Amino acid sequence: MSRRLRRRVSKKGKEKVVAHSYTEFEEEVSTSEQNGDVNWTCLPDDTVIQLFSCLNYRDRASLASTCKTWRCLSASPCLWNSLDLRAHKCDSAMASSLASRCRNLQKLRFRGAESADAIIFLQARNLRELSGDYCRKITDATLSVIAARHELLECLQLGPDFCERITSDAVKQIAFCCPNLTKLRLSGIRDVQGDAISALGKHCPHLTDVGFLDCLKVDELALGNVASLRFLSVAGTSNVKWGVVSHVWHKLPNLVGLDVSRTDVGPAAVSRLLISSQSLKVLCALNCPVLEGDANFTVPKIKGKSLLAHFTDIFEGIASLFADITSKGKTVFLDWRNSKKTHKSMDEMMSWFEWILSHSLLRSAENNPQGLDDFWLKQGAPLLLILMQSSQEDVQERAATGLATFVVIDDEHASIDRGRAEAVMRDGGIRLLLDLAKSWREGLQSEAAKAIANLSVNVNVAKAVAEEGGIDILASLARSMNRLVAEEAAGGLWNLSVGEEHKGAIAEAGGVKALVDLIFKWSSGGDGVLERAAGALANLAADDKCSMAVALAGGVHALVMLARNCKFEGVQEQAARALANLAAHGDSNGNNAAVGQEVGALEALVQLTRSPHEGVRQEAAGALWNLSFDDRNREAIASAGGVEALVALAQTCSNASPGLQERAAGALWGLSVSEANSVAIGREGGVAPLIALARSDAEDVHETAAGALWNLAFNPGNALRIVEEGGVPALVHLCSSSVSKMARFMAALALAYMFDGRMDEYALVGTSSESTSKIVSLDGSRRMALKHIEAFILMFSDRQAFTTAAASSAPAALAEVTEGARIQEAGHLRCSGAEIGRFISMLKNPSVLKACAAFALLQFTIPGGRHALHHAKLMQNAGAARVLRATAAAATAPLEAKIFARIVLRNLEHHQAESSKGI
Amino acid sequence: MSSSSSSSSPSCPKKMITLKSSDGETFEIEEIAALQSKTLESMIDENCASTPVPLPNITGKILAKVVEYCTKHAEVGADAESLRAWDAEFVSVDHPTLFDYILAANFLEIPTLLNLACQSVADMVKGKTPDEIHKIFNIKSTFTPEEEEELRRENQWAFD
Repeated sequence: MSRRLRRRVSKKGKEKVVAHSYTEFEEEVSTSEQNGDVNWTCLPDDTVIQLFSCLNYRDRASLASTCKTWRCLSASPCLWNSLDLRAHKCDSAMASSLASRCRNLQKLRFRGAESADAIIFLQARNLRELSGDYCRKITDATLSVIAARHELLECLQLGPDFCERITSDAVKQIAFCCPNLTKLRLSGIRDVQGDAISALGKHCPHLTDVGFLDCLKVDELALGNVASLRFLSVAGTSNVKWGVVSHVWHKLPNLVGLDVSRTDVGPAAVSRLLISSQSLKVLCALNCPVLEGDANFTVPKIKGKSLLAHFTDIFEGIASLFADITSKGKTVFLDWRNSKKTHKSMDEMMSWFEWILSHSLLRSAENNPQGLDDFWLKQGAPLLLILMQSSQEDVQERAATGLATFVVIDDEHASIDRGRAEAVMRDGGIRLLLDLAKSWREGLQSEAAKAIANLSVNVNVAKAVAEEGGIDILASLARSMNRLVAEEAAGGLWNLSVGEEHKGAIAEAGGVKALVDLIFKWSSGGDGVLERAAGALANLAADDKCSMAVALAGGVHALVMLARNCKFEGVQEQAARALANLAAHGDSNGNNAAVGQEVGALEALVQLTRSPHEGVRQEAAGALWNLSFDDRNREAIASAGGVEALVALAQTCSNASPGLQERAAGALWGLSVSEANSVAIGREGGVAPLIALARSDAEDVHETAAGALWNLAFNPGNALRIVEEGGVPALVHLCSSSVSKMARFMAALALAYMFDGRMDEYALVGTSSESTSKIVSLDGSRRMALKHIEAFILMFSDRQAFTTAAASSAPAALAEVTEGARIQEAGHLRCSGAEIGRFISMLKNPSVLKACAAFALLQFTIPGGRHALHHAKLMQNAGAARVLRATAAAATAPLEAKIFARIVLRNLEHHQAESSKGI
Repeated sequence: MSSSSSSSSPSCPKKMITLKSSDGETFEIEEIAALQSKTLESMIDENCASTPVPLPNITGKILAKVVEYCTKHAEVGADAESLRAWDAEFVSVDHPTLFDYILAANFLEIPTLLNLACQSVADMVKGKTPDEIHKIFNIKSTFTPEEEEELRRENQWAFD
């Protein structure tokens, strides 16, 4: 489809057009015309470089591969100032291939120990900043070599994962090798010893910013001697001797900012540091239990000094440090960023704030300690939003991750805190996140997408995301080649597709195709992304139109592939659920049949009903239930061992969730539509567990079980089994007291099949020595059953309406009876010719079964019922009209049977008239 | 709307400067709007903008749009959301126009417009293979097989 463009026509040479008043007309322009004869390769170099800078590395590589000019420009030093290798496989060969372009590399981000080993092969001797995460396995040797090869290094950060294998030896090496070091932030070192710290103090005269975060031990005394320090963080570090600290660190002559968040610092040390340090401006102590637990602690008020804690106003505290900024409170960060004046020391301090705050907030969000609700709503959420606008990419990422994390209050059930989510939305967070998601930086994309995904659990946020164009953005991120980005985007689409509102928009944005493609792209080794994609497709498949789109995009094949091959339970569950939903649209589309025709689909689903994971069993049974609506699928499921598997499932689900119980019973109900399957179910021992499920208090469970028992009871052998297994009292109970009319109805019909005489013949034929006692006990059961069937019929028979109908043959009177008797959902039931035939014979039964049969046929033929026409035809073929007329006219028949029979006759006439009209 | 006067007092009439396109059209633009162009800013600072400023490599068609862009972005109090929509509409144009926007923004040094136009081109490239990019930009590959192999080695890292 081509875009509609507004294009002005102007012919060269004869224009005298006044600005803003030229004529315009709309014109469809095809793509080839659009391309025109522009020679894009002659764009000025600067602009091409700018174009490159808008793209991620993959797209840059593609663009560079198109022509010589652009290849050459793609190697421009300014595009190789900084490099983020986190998403890329980085080994020595790869690093060597980049070496020629990394000569002037200033900034490098990497991930993991293997990449760390490869860094030296980049030969980036001018590297100034190095930052790595997932560094648990980095060794002293690696870090020492890195330090030795990058003498100009000014900034080194490893974390937030703990650098468990790094010791003070490597820190010493860094001190010896990198004299220009100004910033060193390391996480999770066991013991930072005094000699290493002293070496830093001695060899790195410019070292102003040190962070030993989440370490087990640091030498406080030695830190007190690093006179160059301006900023120091020991956040999360344990075993700090605060007595030593408060008597030593205040002597650090240049110390401006100190971060002691997440430590056991107490009021005494805090007060002393604030009061006695000459230079200290800010002491940050977020999430310090001892300090927060002291009700008597009052913050020392000293001009020009601030304490930042959960119980202080952080924005005010920071704002008060600015002498020349008039703004107060929340705008301080924005005012600082927009301020044209540069003030180096202030800039350093604000950047440091951003960094330590993003760290502490993320940690707090992860641990989610009690009692922070108020803090998050008033300060935490606004701070995270401000930090997302930082110029430091890692701060932005952490803030987005923080947003994704702090709203989640229960991981297990994926529930989020509504107040927090709406606070983010209120402060413009959705727009900010979507902007980050559009960035070319994949680290930002994935974290922003994760936050959008989590927030979208809230319906109001989901609505805002959709309104701000978020669905398009997520759909395009789902196509990302970066697995983490695609995974979070798929998660977003999963959450957005929960309600009905956004399904159409997701399909329109190409989301369905993107999700299906994801499954093929990551079919091996991407459990997280596969689960989310399948989950989203499952939600989408619940919608009729979207389910067509899923099938069209190749979704059936993709999902069956997952159900067959994937070993991860989360994926199996979602794939089965998706297949269940695809097959849930009955005759309205061909997906049900399509799933069954996919090679191995039914076998895989049957296999999944044996999964150790309850969710997987439930969804697989649900899928088989829905699929069994198709005749061919039903028989194929049976030949794939479905009967045995589902009977086994029903036998073992007595303590399972109602969802599983319902689907197990439902699948057996579906299969039992054919008598051969019914017999097999009975033979396999399916009757007893179904009776047990029929005793369930859960409406959905006992209703479904009643349906299955009704089908089973058609077969006399099964009917006898139901009696023997104690099914009569269970069905009688359902028939008289279920809250579900359908359950009552189907229980009554099951009892009717059991006691219309066929079972007795069967019981007699299978004569054994016990046959007499059997028949005796059958008599008792029959009396009980018939009594309750009668009571059931009476529940649906309004006396007054009957009297009126008996007195007059006016259609209105009959209509009133129909209205009183009608069971809405019964319109969905579809009977075979044999079943209809059985009800017709039942009309001749002298007992209450006559009325019951007429009642059933009435339900099955009410005009407007989904299968009413089908039933009417079957009845015509069976010559039902004659029997019905006889019933209606019989002097001895009960009034209900006569009136119901008259209504059925009218229904038949109606259908006959309709179908002849149709011809 | 260039006739709005809410932002300046009546005693101080708006300063206008005149721009002249390569094909001889002239356009008036408020000085405050023109300042978004670093090129024009330095001309104004050096008092070279009191007479019509000739812009020999920008056609009237493009200059009209650039003036419109600068005027829109100099408006006081426009909310970010509607400006974003306006920008999106502004770059929904055919390739030749987009190309000319980039040239004009580059020459006049209007960073926001250059960024907007480049981003729009970048959006066309995103996720595309080199072959697809060839088609989009109507360019032919001129690499020898050896160079192709070199390219592959050079760029392999980005695809892993």
